[in-house]
Amino acid sequence: MDFELNDDQRAILEAVETLLEQRAGAARAVALASKGDYDAELEAALANAGFTDMALSEETGLLEAALVVEAVARAGGLAAIGAAALVAPHCAGRALPGPIALASAGERGPVRFGAHARTLLVAAADEARAVRVQPGDAETVASNFGYPMGRVRTDGGESLGAGSGARLRSAWRLALAAEATGTMRSALHITVEYLKQRRQFGHPIGSFQAVQHRLAECAVLVEGSRWLTYEAAWRGATAEASATAAAYALAAAHRVFSETHQLSGSIGFTREHDLHVFSMRLQALRLELDGVGGHQRALTRSRWTTA
Amino acid sequence: MNARFGDAEEAFRDEVRRFLEAHRDLDGFFVQDSRWDAVKAFFRALGERGWLSLAWPEAVGGLGRSPIHEYILWDECAYARAARPPLGAGVVAKTLIRYGSAAQKARWLPGIRSGELHFSLGYSEPEAGSDLASVRTRAERHGDTYRVSGEKCWTSYARHSDYLWCLCRTGEPGSRGRGLSILIVDLHAPGVKVGLLPTLDGEALHEVLLDDVSVPVEQRVGPENGAWTLMAEALADERHVQFPPARLRRDLDDVVAWARRHGLERDPRVRRTLADLAVGVREAEVLGLRVLETLVKGRSGVVEAAANKVFQTLLCQKIARAALDFGAPESLVAGNPVEFLWRQSMWETIGGGTSEIMLGVVAKQELRLAGRS
Ligand SMILES: Cc1cc2nc3c(=O)[nH]c(=O)nc-3n(C[C@H](O)[C@H](O)[C@H](O)COP(=O)(O)OP(=O)(O)OC[C@H]3O[C@@H](n4cnc5c(N)ncnc54)[C@H](O)[C@@H]3O)c2cc1C
Repeated sequence: MDFELNDDQRAILEAVETLLEQRAGAARAVALASKGDYDAELEAALANAGFTDMALSEETGLLEAALVVEAVARAGGLAAIGAAALVAPHCAGRALPGPIALASAGERGPVRFGAHARTLLVAAADEARAVRVQPGDAETVASNFGYPMGRVRTDGGESLGAGSGARLRSAWRLALAAEATGTMRSALHITVEYLKQRRQFGHPIGSFQAVQHRLAECAVLVEGSRWLTYEAAWRGATAEASATAAAYALAAAHRVFSETHQLSGSIGFTREHDLHVFSMRLQALRLELDGVGGHQRALTRSRWTTA
Repeated sequence: MNARFGDAEEAFRDEVRRFLEAHRDLDGFFVQDSRWDAVKAFFRALGERGWLSLAWPEAVGGLGRSPIHEYILWDECAYARAARPPLGAGVVAKTLIRYGSAAQKARWLPGIRSGELHFSLGYSEPEAGSDLASVRTRAERHGDTYRVSGEKCWTSYARHSDYLWCLCRTGEPGSRGRGLSILIVDLHAPGVKVGLLPTLDGEALHEVLLDDVSVPVEQRVGPENGAWTLMAEALADERHVQFPPARLRRDLDDVVAWARRHGLERDPRVRRTLADLAVGVREAEVLGLRVLETLVKGRSGVVEAAANKVFQTLLCQKIARAALDFGAPESLVAGNPVEFLWRQSMWETIGGGTSEIMLGVVAKQELRLAGRS
């Protein structure tokens, strides 16, 4: 047993972090989000550097891909890297033209990146379908949750074969867990750093024990999400492991959202502070694939239902 | 025990409801900053009826009614999503009535009563949020004027208001709560700059920069260095109208309507959540009435008010978040009632004294737990 990342994995992480430092970040996310834009440049840069191919290459796999997805979320990257690096490879066994949006068959609600997508991956009962879409096919939907959204049509497309539907849902859950983890890490980091220097009553607020306990509980939740995500990736995104990671991480997301906002005070409610770049996204992630309840049902199905 | 109001009070509630019918489209409660003109017109209409001075003594132009009338008025306004009680008619007027000179009362009360004059609350500063005793905005006295310099932030409605009810340091630096005074600062005076701080609900708060602003000594309210007691009393004066429980009843009604519209009302998980929230709303109403009772009976209501604030504001977040959680992605569409409520409710546990500070009050004053140092 060994939970340490190996040298190669650490090198990948460092390399993607270096790229993200130059090409992502909260300020860029705010600028893009204000226009409802998608970060096509970031997606291209990550693809050109091979970061979206981790799950397909011989030497690397889903774990390396999950590390990339988490890092992009941590940097506030506004691109559909979960779908590109984890979901498409696992479900279709190949790269698909991006941006890729994910949807469930028959659902009419808006989906993340729906209006920018060139490929729509649709989860139907047993199969997944890849639908080619053109810009303008989907209706843009304004939202305050940090991601550009669009309302898509989920019919048509090319079947990816029997069993691909289950693979799509599992990889989607894994991607959600990885994205939630990265997003929570940043929300918590911003809050902890702020409370180290914010003084009231003659002391840093972060030195009050009641505050410390709440931040520490969040840290436990975020670490739990992180390791369950890595484990699910390492296990090859099995239905049970992915649903477990997603159920845990998306429940944690609610808690981390509440605590980081509450403990930041008024500044966290203003747009001048970066917390909202990460915190608001958590709520959008929480609603995909029927939310925490959906992940829990997937978990019980995969674990206890035969047939 | 009697959990019901009297006939006269219920008749007043009917009158308020009829009045609010005519203002059905106002919808200013959550967006007073961006709908200021309409909200101000509404305040003038209240002023015409004497309803901004319902519980002021008749000697200063009030109607001399009980706090129950104020409670009913603002509770109904909350349900109708019309507006929140203006600072002027509450904190400012009641403090002036208690501490103001005859000249001060004559100068400010008529404009407040008519809904013409508006005030913003200038307590918070970049370095003084929960810890107001650390306020730094300096007021130096030179003969008949104070010269005021400093920075206020998160000030509600400042760009629309006429005056700032401004907490200033008149004592030595380090004098904490013993060296603070309240000055009424003209927001249009030279040296005052108001900036916008956009917030996550789509509205804005303000920063107010004060650069050597002249404030006549007649605009100090209460004794020099005496603000601390006066602030506590002012807060207590308003405890029954600050968090009207009907806001929560309306939130829940809106969420139920939304769940119906989206075909969710038969989902047993949704129903269980709604039942939980309905219990919470009832509890909030009872807590609200208990706060009102302390005022009517002339008891200190510090603990009751703190507990009420914690419970109500947390519940409004629960209502909004529940809706979003059972709402499916449809609830993320900008501007729908539940996503707006969710963003709006985020700050309720922070503004007006945070939940942690309120819980500290309950811990120390009710449970008698010792503080550190
Ligand atoms: C919508 C809105 C409108 C507002 N309008 C006004 C206005 O009109 N006028 C005005 O003056 N102010 C206004 N405020 C400011 C508000 O009163 C302050 O934000 C509030 O008092 C908290 O201060 P802070 O934001 O600096 O938080 P901080 O004091 O920095 O606190 C940050 C966090 O630490 C916690 N904390 C602090 N001390 C302790 C402790 N000892 N133990 C445990 N936890 C602690 C707090 O509870 C909070 O969770 C408004 C705020 C909002 C959000």
